[in-house]
Amino acid sequence: MFAIGVIGFISRRNLIVMFLCTELMFQGVAINLIAFGRYHGNFAGQAFVIFVLVIAAAEASLALGLVVLLFRQKNTLDADAWRELKG
Amino acid sequence: MPTAELLSPILIMVLCVIAGLGTIMLLPGKHEIAFHRIGGVILAAAGLIFVAMLPKLAVGNGQPTTAIYFWIFSAIGLVGAIRVVTHPRPVYSALYFVLTVFATAGLFVLLEAEFVAAALVLIYAGAILVTYVFVIMLASQAGPDDKPTVAQKMIDYDRVSKEPLAAAAIGFALMGVLLFLIFDRAAGLAPPAGVALPPSGASADVVTVNAPGITQQLGLFLFRNQLVQLELAGLILTIAMVGAIVISRRQVFVAGRISTAGETVIGPATPIDDNPHSIPVYGTDNPRQKSYPQN
Repeated sequence: MFAIGVIGFISRRNLIVMFLCTELMFQGVAINLIAFGRYHGNFAGQAFVIFVLVIAAAEASLALGLVVLLFRQKNTLDADAWRELKG
Repeated sequence: MPTAELLSPILIMVLCVIAGLGTIMLLPGKHEIAFHRIGGVILAAAGLIFVAMLPKLAVGNGQPTTAIYFWIFSAIGLVGAIRVVTHPRPVYSALYFVLTVFATAGLFVLLEAEFVAAALVLIYAGAILVTYVFVIMLASQAGPDDKPTVAQKMIDYDRVSKEPLAAAAIGFALMGVLLFLIFDRAAGLAPPAGVALPPSGASADVVTVNAPGITQQLGLFLFRNQLVQLELAGLILTIAMVGAIVISRRQVFVAGRISTAGETVIGPATPIDDNPHSIPVYGTDNPRQKSYPQN
């Protein structure tokens, strides 16, 4: 699932879908963490997943705010529209 | 090394290459529909072969129902994830992502992490996805002043993916290496050390509520061992909220900049005194501060 997220992040040009793919990667990592926590029989995995969720929520809100900002500037969601940021 | 030799690495590599080809064909591109369908069939075939290769991996360690649920949930999750990546329209991608989130929550329940599953559904499927869908709708509507070409352009860059070959190569190389590692090491692993997630509330010395549930134990763990991190998480959320508001609000007081160079507005336009009727409640009487930028 992480690999799929990576593929999506690299291959899509829509900014929103790119962020969706990062969330996908979060899912894969969360599954692994919980499974390891279960395996070792303690709660560190679950606690860490909760923190990951917190950070993901914060990141999503900030990123979507940024996306809205960018969209207002260019009226498009194409990641290639910001190519001028390349030096 | 007690290698049960679950899968030979060459086989894993071949399967990864096949799946990568299928994914390339599935990614939105300038192909006709049959091409996509072929890609889907190839990907599904690779997945089925892979599943058929590991009948020995009894995941539920002896409990067949758990194993069945595991396979169902992971199949749903993987298919949903693939569709998230490959669907040409962002809204449907978001909806497939909801599907994936639910499958993941099911997996969490199987792993005895009920609270995290509930939190996942609430946060992801509830909050984050609603935000995503709002932003997608906000961004997909054509602006007031532009032609339908904008929508056309958007459809264009949604349809055509960027460098699908490199992306699939990287992703599936990663997946192949990970799978190889997993199968290499998993042969030597002992079966899960304790299905006994400490049901012995004996370690919880102070308040031994009789048979505390997983959620309760998790809460105790959080507040005993991870208190600083918990507070930090709250702080980060607050900062993110403030930051998001600051980023995405519109600049309102633009009008003062446009007109009458030299005049700078300092402080509130309506002087604040003790008269409660002079406190601006919703907007001000000053037309300068009321005006929105007309862009």
